[in-house]
Amino acid sequence: MSWFVKFWGTRGSIPAPGPQSRKYGGNTSCVEVHADPALLICDGGTGLRELGLDLLKRKKGEPIRGHFLFSHTHWDHIQGFPFFTPAYDPRNEFLVYGTSRGDRRTFDLLSGQMRSEYFPVEFSELRSRIAPADLGDGHAHVEGFSVRCIEVKHPGRSFAFSFEKEGKKVVYATDNELDQMLADPDQPTRDPSALRAFPEPLVEFVRGADLLIGDGQYTDEEYPTHVGWGHSRATTLVDLAVAAECRQLAVFHHDPMQSDRDVDRKIDLCRERAARHKSKAVVFGAREGLELRIG
Amino acid sequence: MPQSPDREDPEIHGGTREISVKITPFTAAPAPFSLRLVQGPGSPRNFTLAREEVVLGRSSEADIQVDSTDLSRKHLALRREHGQYTVFDLDSRNGVYLNGVKIHSAVLHEGDNLQLGSVVLVYHEGRE
Repeated sequence: MSWFVKFWGTRGSIPAPGPQSRKYGGNTSCVEVHADPALLICDGGTGLRELGLDLLKRKKGEPIRGHFLFSHTHWDHIQGFPFFTPAYDPRNEFLVYGTSRGDRRTFDLLSGQMRSEYFPVEFSELRSRIAPADLGDGHAHVEGFSVRCIEVKHPGRSFAFSFEKEGKKVVYATDNELDQMLADPDQPTRDPSALRAFPEPLVEFVRGADLLIGDGQYTDEEYPTHVGWGHSRATTLVDLAVAAECRQLAVFHHDPMQSDRDVDRKIDLCRERAARHKSKAVVFGAREGLELRIG
Repeated sequence: MPQSPDREDPEIHGGTREISVKITPFTAAPAPFSLRLVQGPGSPRNFTLAREEVVLGRSSEADIQVDSTDLSRKHLALRREHGQYTVFDLDSRNGVYLNGVKIHSAVLHEGDNLQLGSVVLVYHEGRE
């Protein structure tokens, strides 16, 4: 059974629509992992609205069952949920995963954003069945996918997920300040060209991914004024892909200040870095509307 | 030296000044969407994307035929919606590479490079 990854929102922090962002898109984080009929949704940023509309077209009236995995609940990862049209249909069912046994934090925060102070429709008025679920001890089987999670570095906590099926692996690791996880945090300043070293559990989590979707929000020039904001230098993300021997790297969570040209330049630098480190990984900028066949 | 505020400009009447303006209306004429074959048999050549759905392949049944053995008979489809084309790989043997990335489908933008084996095409956005 073939499975696919599709990008519905790739922008970080806040939507950035307009002529400057047509190519990579202005919607915030939302990535679909699907193998008909399995539907897994990574984050519910504003890209989720268009995924919802597309699902209605694709499913042609059939009930929709989906699994939401939220990296965390900052605005740019949950704002699309109230506009996810399938959530309003009583025939549909969605599970919202916490990362450990009995963890309802994500479910509660997601529903909390629909209190009347924030949004005109209450969560309780959504007519689909929406229930909390969890990944047990950090690993669960979800409709034929082996799903794992690991905590990464972001203010307020954030989690990366891996999806494995039929010998192929995808890792979704956004909102992660890799530069704050380095074994030697001074190394990028002391020797910017040297390959950066990461904690072994993180490298093992990512190892061998056919596709790593990772936080590469900043260029090397932008990062020093954003230290501690929870996002990576794109070049550091490249080094993780090199260390973990990933086959493809999608640089994700583009800074809202970056135009398409800026993202193009960022990706060029990432490709040069990967090549300098003798990596054969295919490096590209995640962009809205791009769909890859994984297996 | 600043001008005295009470000095009267003979061309100003009641606080307004008549000026002559020539307005040239801006009209953006429709321009065709196109694929330019830049590498492969018959290159260079432009293909205008006139229809909402266009199939490209080796077959004479394809809307755009490129006679290369690297192409499947029906290799890819382009579908136009909301003023933009999306490319779909039709389970082709050699795949569709968008700017070097093997894709299943993608919304296309100006200058995108599509590689199908040794055949290379460049997408140019039009205006409806």
